[in-house]
Amino acid sequence: MEISNNNIPEFKVIANGPLHVKGKITLINTNGEKQELEETWLCRCGNSKNKPFCDGSHKTAGF
Amino acid sequence: MDNFSKITDDSQNREYSNDEITVFWKPGKCVHATTCYKELIEVFNPRRRPWVNMYGAPTERIIEIVNKCPTEALTYKWNDEAKNKETINLKNERLKKGEGQNVTSQQAKPVTIQVMRDGPLVVQGDFEVFDEKGNKLKHMIMTSFCRCGASNSQPFCDGYHRKIGFNSEK
Ligand code: SF4
Ligand code: FES
Ligand code: FES
Repeated sequence: MEISNNNIPEFKVIANGPLHVKGKITLINTNGEKQELEETWLCRCGNSKNKPFCDGSHKTAGF
Repeated sequence: MDNFSKITDDSQNREYSNDEITVFWKPGKCVHATTCYKELIEVFNPRRRPWVNMYGAPTERIIEIVNKCPTEALTYKWNDEAKNKETINLKNERLKKGEGQNVTSQQAKPVTIQVMRDGPLVVQGDFEVFDEKGNKLKHMIMTSFCRCGASNSQPFCDGYHRKIGFNSEK
């Protein structure tokens, strides 16, 4: 197999929307709680009611 | 320099020296990870003025903590220019964000995303960043992504969350 960066987590900026994270990461929340995730969408607009995750609020907020 | 420098008040920036190194403090870049003062209160004490006491610990220890600061808020330089050339400045290396690096998955450091209260997402490890169009921007090893929506250097945090009084807990 060729050497690739396949397992390196990717952070994709979605236009007027969240940050799409693909790959294994550890998320440390504001209260110090740790979560292992393989894929997630993190809010960039500041309006989600389920922070740090995107809940679609960016659409109504007009980010 | 990016837009950021114009927006945030550079006059707040400070320099602190001992006989060997100078530490640069850019409050606009601080994301309050509190790493610095939790680990070395003898040097970094926000309750004191000036808040950095360069004689509170050996130079090596100060450099160690500056290297741990996840942002550009704390950087350092040797006072002796020659030494800056011969020694590796880990912090500056990291700030160059490992651009253009090619790491194989075996070598890649695991990624953590720390969610800062009322602030950005601080990401460390080996990761790749793609822009809105799906183009790979760069390989990075440390950065902070804006989550308040107000940064002028999107997708990265430029410290603006404090200007808008971002409250991530409501
Ligand atoms: S470690 Fe850096 S970012 Fe964190 S509080 Fe200290 S100066 Fe600010
Ligand atoms: S980016 Fe989707 S809710 Fe903020
Ligand atoms: S989170 Fe820092 S500028 Fe938005």
